[in-house]
Amino acid sequence: MLRFILRRALLAIPSLFGLLVLTFFMIRVVPADPAAALAGENATPAQVAEIRKQYGFDRPLHEQFVVYLGQVARFEFGESAYSRRPVALDIKQRLPATLELTVSALLIATLLGIPLGTVAAVYHNRWPDTLLRVLSVAGVAVAAFWFAIELQLLFAMDLGWFPLRGRMSSGLSAPPTATGFLLLDSLIAGRLDVFRDALHHLVLPAMTLSLGGIATIARFTRAGVLDTLQKDFVLYERAQGFPSRALIWQFVLKNSVVAAITQIGLLFGSLIAGAVVVETIFDWPGIGFYTVQAILTADYKVMLAVTLLIGVIYAAVNILVDLVHGLIDPRLREQL
Amino acid sequence: MAAVVVMAPPARAAQPGVLVTGDNLPTNLDPHQIFDVPMMLYSLNAYDNLYRYQGNPPELKPWLAQSHTVSEDGKTWEFKLRPDAKFHDGSEVTADDVVYSFRRVLALGKAPSGAFKPVLKPDNVTAPDKHTVRFVLDQAYAPFLSAVPIVMIVNPRAVKANESNNDWAATWLASNAAGSGAYKLDASTYRPLERVDLKRNPDHFLGWSDNPKAPETVQILPTRETSTRVLALLQGSVDMTDSYLPTDQVERIQKSKGVHIEKHTSMRVFTLRMNNAKPPLDNVNARKCFAHAFNYDGFIQEILKGYAERNPAPMPNNLWGYPKDVVAYDYDLKKAKAFCDKAKAEGAPINRPIQIHIQSQLEQTNQAAQLLQSDLAQIGINLKIVSDTWANITTNTSKPESTPDLWVHWVSTYFVDPENWVGQMYDSQFHGTWKASAWYKNPKVDELLRKARVTIGQEERKPLYEEATRLIVADSPDIWVYNTVELRGVTDRVKEFRFSPVGSGGEMRSIQLTN
Repeated sequence: MLRFILRRALLAIPSLFGLLVLTFFMIRVVPADPAAALAGENATPAQVAEIRKQYGFDRPLHEQFVVYLGQVARFEFGESAYSRRPVALDIKQRLPATLELTVSALLIATLLGIPLGTVAAVYHNRWPDTLLRVLSVAGVAVAAFWFAIELQLLFAMDLGWFPLRGRMSSGLSAPPTATGFLLLDSLIAGRLDVFRDALHHLVLPAMTLSLGGIATIARFTRAGVLDTLQKDFVLYERAQGFPSRALIWQFVLKNSVVAAITQIGLLFGSLIAGAVVVETIFDWPGIGFYTVQAILTADYKVMLAVTLLIGVIYAAVNILVDLVHGLIDPRLREQL
Repeated sequence: MAAVVVMAPPARAAQPGVLVTGDNLPTNLDPHQIFDVPMMLYSLNAYDNLYRYQGNPPELKPWLAQSHTVSEDGKTWEFKLRPDAKFHDGSEVTADDVVYSFRRVLALGKAPSGAFKPVLKPDNVTAPDKHTVRFVLDQAYAPFLSAVPIVMIVNPRAVKANESNNDWAATWLASNAAGSGAYKLDASTYRPLERVDLKRNPDHFLGWSDNPKAPETVQILPTRETSTRVLALLQGSVDMTDSYLPTDQVERIQKSKGVHIEKHTSMRVFTLRMNNAKPPLDNVNARKCFAHAFNYDGFIQEILKGYAERNPAPMPNNLWGYPKDVVAYDYDLKKAKAFCDKAKAEGAPINRPIQIHIQSQLEQTNQAAQLLQSDLAQIGINLKIVSDTWANITTNTSKPESTPDLWVHWVSTYFVDPENWVGQMYDSQFHGTWKASAWYKNPKVDELLRKARVTIGQEERKPLYEEATRLIVADSPDIWVYNTVELRGVTDRVKEFRFSPVGSGGEMRSIQLTN
């Protein structure tokens, strides 16, 4: 298995290098001049020229790229032109919040999507199936933006069950940072008050983010289960009198979820992208909003670092998905 | 989820003594690097300046300085400091500290230095004694005093201790503070663009006897989405919104209990810029055609629901130097067509697709462009709307050929002087900056504006700006729409909110919290 992981990790390197080349040159061909943005609203052209020289933006692009590659190799991501803090520090403070949100959304999507898809397949063309089809189309079609506001109005404003925004109540003191994941850190520090508060804050954003995922996973699970139900072994087991419920949840499902699991890997990427909207509406202090700000202000070091990091995470998640495939499907295990 | 619901904590109410504002934070905390409205919200509380604008219309009041004198030639300015001001570390604010602050602004060369760099050399800021600061300008510069409040005074003892590689501690001050203001930064709470807590400074030189109910803590917690911001206000977890609320949200707040709208006429002119250096808008008749094709009343009454005042000239109508007799361009498609026909007859390529760039994040810029687009379509002009960003547009305005045909923005109050508007927008020496992106050139206007810049005395400068403005309006280089009315949602527990167009009411020391 270790060899498999190593092989896949090595294979990811050229992809990541391609990503690096692409983002570096794409960001630099965008007409926004980072020097002008850096100089600020009231700067004169002379001030802009001075800043361009100071930051090396006047050097040829390929030279700048070589310098950048060297920095990446040393894990140096430089300083944000705006916050004037190391990009690595800004990311370290924000990434766990985004991961906490996306992993929670993915968990909700998986835990709800797989059973829903299975139930729909079992009740093929009957009302639970029709209902799920309607809901899954709606789940994919509904704008996260609208859904988030509806959740806020119902659960935060009318019922008062969950907080409207943020990751933690501002009256509470944060536990010492161990992992950056607030739920984990609060448990490590034995701060159940913070854990409860953080969990409350997580519910609405995670629900919003998971909506599309539930629909996607349910649809793929449904298709997989329907396909497996046609297989001879199912007919055989049924003929043998194997209890129907046990047959479905023990054997059919296991043989059906490979496609759904592939989707989970792909979903992770779209969830990180979708987190931008959710983080904006719920003031979630993650990487999404930070990146949008960086794009709008042409803070290119932040853009490069975040793109690369998301690329690495995406590659890692897909390696993980392949491993899970192997665990589920013995035919694939030989490749591990 | 049921378990979580059962464990639900009580709904969050406002905390006594803590004022939470959902307004935006600056991109970093160094007042010598950033100079925009979010920075003013922070710096007007954490720092002091020599003079400060107070009230509406804004008046320049002595602050760290008690008084000033200016030489007859307008070049030498001396400021006497008050003796009782202290930085947050307890050290006295002296003339040397003011000298250091101005030199730091000039050395960093960022936005706050723009008003000073052309006329002030670092060595010409000196401290003849402990409480006197002297500025010797290269040439007379009348707006100097108006621009002095831009520079916040920093504590060199705190700053120098954190310098590295001669950076004037630019990295350190971006996340820390070294001021003397009425509120003190709690640096441990700072998360860029997300949160800052400011604690009341009991030793501020103005004291607090006039306001025993001042907030103990001012928490800046930017809410990014308008809808969330307003919901948070209605819920009471935020005491103030920003002042860019769309009119539907304003009406929603007005109908709700426990909250109200603070409505104040500001000094921020909404402008559709035209590129006077590129055909067809290099033709005055083409520009007049566009100026008559904008539905001013429709925009103000229907889209902004009347929450703005028509402002038919580049500078705000509540500022001195504004010619009261200026003739506004009215919305009249017949006139517009006549001017366009004239322009066409003169060879202006009026039938080519003309682009208007909007700032995609600011919906109003899009609404204005759409309105103009629909009216121009009626007279056969093809206007194309291009979604863009501030960073991108202002980069492109450095050259006439890359400047959009039209673009939309506001000109805010950076300092209260006609120089901030007509001076920097229409004197051709500023070509290449976003403010002068009309690429307008009229030698007579240049002469008047340059004379106004070196003439000391408001009464002497006033007729110069009035005349220049009349000439500019006659040439129709841009389309001036309205002067902003700022609308901010505030909870009823907030009393004594005082607005000044400079800083958009961001100064908090007058505020009283009833609980």
